[in-house]
Amino acid sequence: MKILLVEDDHLLADAIGRALRAENFVVDVASNGEDGQHLGDTETYDAAVLDLGLPKVNGVAVLRAWRSAGRKLPVLILTARDGWSEKVEGFKAGADDYLVKPFRMEEVVMRLRALVRRAAGHAAPLIVCGPIAYDAQLGAFSLEGLPLRLTALEWRVLSCLMLRKEHVVARRDILERVYDGDAEVDSNSVEVIVARLRRKIGHGLIETVRGLGYRLTAEPS
Amino acid sequence: MTLIPRSLSGRLLSVALALILVALLAAGVAMYFALHRFVQGQVDGRLDGQILSIRDALRVTPDGSLSLDPVANGPPFDRQHAGWYWKVMAPGVDLRSPSLGSDDFSLVGPLPEYRPKPVTADGTGPGDEPLRVRAQRFRFEDRSVFISSSAPRHALEGPLREAMTPVALTLVVLALALMGGVLLQVRLGLRPLSQLTEDLQRVRTGRAERISGAQPSEVAPLVAELNTLLDQNALNLERARRHVANLAHGLKTPLATLAVIMDERGWYADGRLRPLVMTMDRRIRHHLSRARLAALGGPERARTLLAPRVADHIGAFGKLFADKGLIYEIDIATDIAIACEAQDLDELLGNLLDNASKWARRRVVVGADRVGPMVEITIEDDGPGLSDQQAVDVMRAGHRLDESAPGYGFGLPITRELAELYGGAFALGRSELGGLRAGVTLPAAG
Repeated sequence: MKILLVEDDHLLADAIGRALRAENFVVDVASNGEDGQHLGDTETYDAAVLDLGLPKVNGVAVLRAWRSAGRKLPVLILTARDGWSEKVEGFKAGADDYLVKPFRMEEVVMRLRALVRRAAGHAAPLIVCGPIAYDAQLGAFSLEGLPLRLTALEWRVLSCLMLRKEHVVARRDILERVYDGDAEVDSNSVEVIVARLRRKIGHGLIETVRGLGYRLTAEPS
Repeated sequence: MTLIPRSLSGRLLSVALALILVALLAAGVAMYFALHRFVQGQVDGRLDGQILSIRDALRVTPDGSLSLDPVANGPPFDRQHAGWYWKVMAPGVDLRSPSLGSDDFSLVGPLPEYRPKPVTADGTGPGDEPLRVRAQRFRFEDRSVFISSSAPRHALEGPLREAMTPVALTLVVLALALMGGVLLQVRLGLRPLSQLTEDLQRVRTGRAERISGAQPSEVAPLVAELNTLLDQNALNLERARRHVANLAHGLKTPLATLAVIMDERGWYADGRLRPLVMTMDRRIRHHLSRARLAALGGPERARTLLAPRVADHIGAFGKLFADKGLIYEIDIATDIAIACEAQDLDELLGNLLDNASKWARRRVVVGADRVGPMVEITIEDDGPGLSDQQAVDVMRAGHRLDESAPGYGFGLPITRELAELYGGAFALGRSELGGLRAGVTLPAAG
C-alpha cells in the first residue's frame, strides 16, 4: 500500500513516515501543498494523508484540485483545528476521513487501512479469498486460520492482490505500490516476490495472466 | 446635597418651570396693578365728577351764606349707607349726600391743602367701613370750601377681583400649557439619547453590530465615536480570538509530533506520559472552545440556512461512519434559517451528529420545527439511549460516560453552553426510535 503523506512539519512527517513504514506501507512525503498536489496528480497512491495547514497551497485547495482533476484516491485529513466547520469543509472538498492533532499513530494506520479497503470496494474489514484471510483492521494475513508471516515486500504485493482479489492487477500497478518513489526498482522484482509468496500460500492462488499481470483467486483455473 | 437635579430632563424642566413661574407671576402682578389703576381711575373719575357737579351747584344766597342748587344724586349716591357719600364743609355750611342720612364719614389723616384738582384720602364710613375718598379744598367767593366724596373700598376691590379671576385662571392655564410644551420639548429633544441607549443595548445583546440610523447633528459625533469604539473592539476581539486559535493550533502540531515520537520510542509503556499528552490536548481544545464562546458575537448578526448545513454534515458523517452503513433521514423545511453563526451551528450539529452516529444502530433522524421565534432542531438515533442520570452526567463538562469512546467529553456541555448563549436551550430525552433524542432550540432568523 502506497501512501502520499503531505505534512509541512518535518519532525511530524518523519515520525509518521517511520510509523507507517513499520506497518509495511510505502510512503512518499511532500512538505508543502504544491509538491503534494503534484505528486498526487502524477503518481499512483492507495491513499493520502493530508495536513490542512500547509504552506504555499493549503490542504483543502490541494484536495479540491485533486478531486476536480478526477483523482479518487481516499484522503485522510490531519488538522490542528478541531472545529466541525473545518472538518465539514474538508469533507465537502472531498476528504474521506479526518484526524485531529495530536493523534495516536495506531489510529492513523487503522484509518488508512480502512480507507484503502473501502476504496477497493470491501465493506467489511475481513477480506477472504479461499484459504487466505486479510484483516484490514490489523493489517494481518492468515492462511487457513493461522497467521501468515510475510516480509514487507511480500505483504505489500499480497495486500495489493488481496484488495483486488479475482481481478487482474497489472504488474506496473504492483510495482508502483511496492517501492518508494525514489527506490531503485528492478522490474523483475515483482516476479521474485510473487514466486516467494506462491511458496508460502500455495501455487494455485496467484495466477499469472500473461501480458497483463497477476490475479489472486479462490478458484484457480 | 446639591439642588441641581442629576437628570438632564430634570435640569431642563426645573429651569423652565422656574422661568415660567417667574414670568407668569410678573405678568400677573403687572396686570393686577394695571387693572387696579384702571378701576381706581374709574371710581376716582366718578367721585371727581361728583365733586365737580357739587362745586358747580354752589351758590351764594342773598344773605351771604352758601347754598347748594339741587344736585343730581343719581346712583350710586342715592343708596343709603352704601359707601357712596359726599359732603360740603365751609364756614357755616354742612351739606351732605342723602345717602349719609344723619351720619357722617371721617377722613383719616390731615385734611388736604388747596389744590386745583381733587386729591385722594382714606376715610371711614358710619359703620367703620373703609372708604376711598376724593377731596378738594378751594376758595369760593372768598370762603374756604371743602368738598369730599367717597366710595366704598369694595367698589374698588370687587371689580378688581372680578377682572383678576379670569386673568389668573388664564395665567394658570397658560402656565400648564407652557409646562406641557416644555415637557414635550424636553422629551422630544432627549429622545435621541434614549434611542441611543436602546441602540447600545441592541449592540450589547448582539442584535446589532453598530449604531445605525440618522442621528441629530448634536448626537452624530458621539455615535460616530461609539461606532469607532465598537469597530475597534470587534477588531481587537477578532485579533485576540485569532491569537488564541493560532496559539492552540501552533501547539497542536508539536504535540502531535511529541505523541508520535513517544509512541515510536515505546515511552508510552511507562503509562504516565500518554495521559499527560492527552491532558494537554484536552486543555488546549477546552480553552480554545471557551475562548470562542467568550468571544461569541451574538444571535442577530448571522443568518444561516439550516438544511444545507445539515446536508453537509450528513455528507461528512456518512463518510466518517461508512462502515456502519447508517441511514440518515433529514426532515427540515428548506427555508428554515437560524440566527446563529455558521461556525457555531456547525459545532452544535457536529457534536450532536457525532454522538448520534456513534451510538446509532441503523438510523439517525434529523428534524427541525419552528416554535414561535425559535427553531427546535432534533437529532434522534436508534441506539441504546441514556438513562436520566446519564443524561445529567454527560452535561457536566469533562465528564465522560465511556472513557474508551473519545468525543463524549465536553461536546455536550459546550453544545448546551452555545445554545444558551444564543438564548436557546439544549435537552436530552428518549427518542421514539429507541435511542437518544437531542433537542436544541435556537433563535430563528427572519
